[in-house]
Amino acid sequence: MNRWTGELQLNMKNKTNKTIAESVFFQGAFKVMRPLYLDDSGQACYYILNPGGGYVDGDRYLISVHLQEDAELLLTTQSATKVYKTVQSPIYQENRFHLESGSVFEYWPDPLIAYQDARYEQKTTIDMSSSASLFYAETMTPGWSEEAKLFPYTLVHLKSDIYVDGKLVVLDHLRFMPQTQKIKGMGFLEGYTHFGSLMIIDPSIDLYLEELSQHLLRDYDECQIGFSRLDVSGILIRILATNTKQLEDVFKGCSTFFKRRFGRVVPELRKY
Amino acid sequence: MDNLQLLSLFQLCDSNLPVGQFSHSYGLETYIQDGKVHDKQTMKEWLMVYAEEQMCFSDGLGCYLGFQALNEGNLTDFWEIAVRLDAQSLSRESREANRKVGMRLLKLGQDLYPNSTLEVYKQKIKTDHIKAHPALVFAMIAYELHLSETETVVAYLYSTISGLIQNAVRGIPIGQTAGQTLLHDMKSRIEKLTDRIKTLSIDDLGATPPGLEVAQMRHEHLAVRIFMS
Repeated sequence: MNRWTGELQLNMKNKTNKTIAESVFFQGAFKVMRPLYLDDSGQACYYILNPGGGYVDGDRYLISVHLQEDAELLLTTQSATKVYKTVQSPIYQENRFHLESGSVFEYWPDPLIAYQDARYEQKTTIDMSSSASLFYAETMTPGWSEEAKLFPYTLVHLKSDIYVDGKLVVLDHLRFMPQTQKIKGMGFLEGYTHFGSLMIIDPSIDLYLEELSQHLLRDYDECQIGFSRLDVSGILIRILATNTKQLEDVFKGCSTFFKRRFGRVVPELRKY
Repeated sequence: MDNLQLLSLFQLCDSNLPVGQFSHSYGLETYIQDGKVHDKQTMKEWLMVYAEEQMCFSDGLGCYLGFQALNEGNLTDFWEIAVRLDAQSLSRESREANRKVGMRLLKLGQDLYPNSTLEVYKQKIKTDHIKAHPALVFAMIAYELHLSETETVVAYLYSTISGLIQNAVRGIPIGQTAGQTLLHDMKSRIEKLTDRIKTLSIDDLGATPPGLEVAQMRHEHLAVRIFMS
């Protein structure tokens, strides 16, 4: 099948220390405005707009990002991704991120909210140079239903394969099926309701890894955080929390360290 | 299965096998320190979710797919499974535990069964981006012993679960008899788990519940530890 419900393709390049679009293509349910420059670093920022308002039955989405050498991009969304009831086939989203040497990619979307009986599958492939930097955040909420029942959805399936210099280094695979799993219980969400994941891969992570670890161990009493060094120069952080704000706070906190090494501060991305 | 095969399998599943399994709790110790696992019942609860929601999609499925690849003479698939099985383990301690235990089982296997394909595995580890994993070494030894696919998976799950229960006996602690009755209870589960694994494919590899993973990662920072993972 070639037809995507929504498709976004960004190809970015660095032109005299400013990241500009070599090409921007979107069609269907995805749209971006002109790039924003949130500070004077030259890093471009796009907000993905979904004029349709949410994902419905059988939808298929593609986000494809190619960062050329030394290009820097922050990609986020304008609002939460709402996944509605799925009767026929699961909603499918594919993310393809290709990061060339020296590029910096921050992917920090709004939370995913799956509605009653929703089925959602996401496949992410990141193919990056070991000299590129990645900040990849993801947020899962307990969903939404009219009866305010938590975890009313059927399936949320998130798979990410990360290749560094052509070698598979991370296979991240999460499958939430609240109707057959004891999702609130031991082993799953441990009594929490929200889940966040943050992966930082950065050739210079050793400059701030110790400080970041201390910060994670010390500053977030309300959530439960696990983090682990990857085989490559990077860290994976998993967070169990009780609301979206707690997760955003951890992302922001970690972003401070990531940003600081480029001499930047964390922008205010959200409008709420 | 002839008697020699049966005895070889006993030996391979013996919890005294010196591969270091007794040093690794795969996150169980975090639950013990949090007070969430404190007796036989809570241990069973942890073991069920670990076996059915993590081990099934990692070690169990890896062992099954690895055996299949060997059976089909397809080593390319076998190495692909090895790469994926290693990459899906996102807690550093669990990943390193698998590599260490896998390597020790590989060396022991070579001592017991010289001139086997284990030598190819060892060479591949030296020259390529391939790591040792006990599930795959086990599959290789079992294949050499002409065991069936089902026997291999059942035996691997049994030996891993039995090792974890031994660790619980020491770590919680619970009584030896409680440990054995728990292991007895798990036998029918292992059969069901094996049936389920046979319905899965390489696309299912690595599905992991977040809480178990968080506990495995948090283990790195526990102040006092008797286990290495």
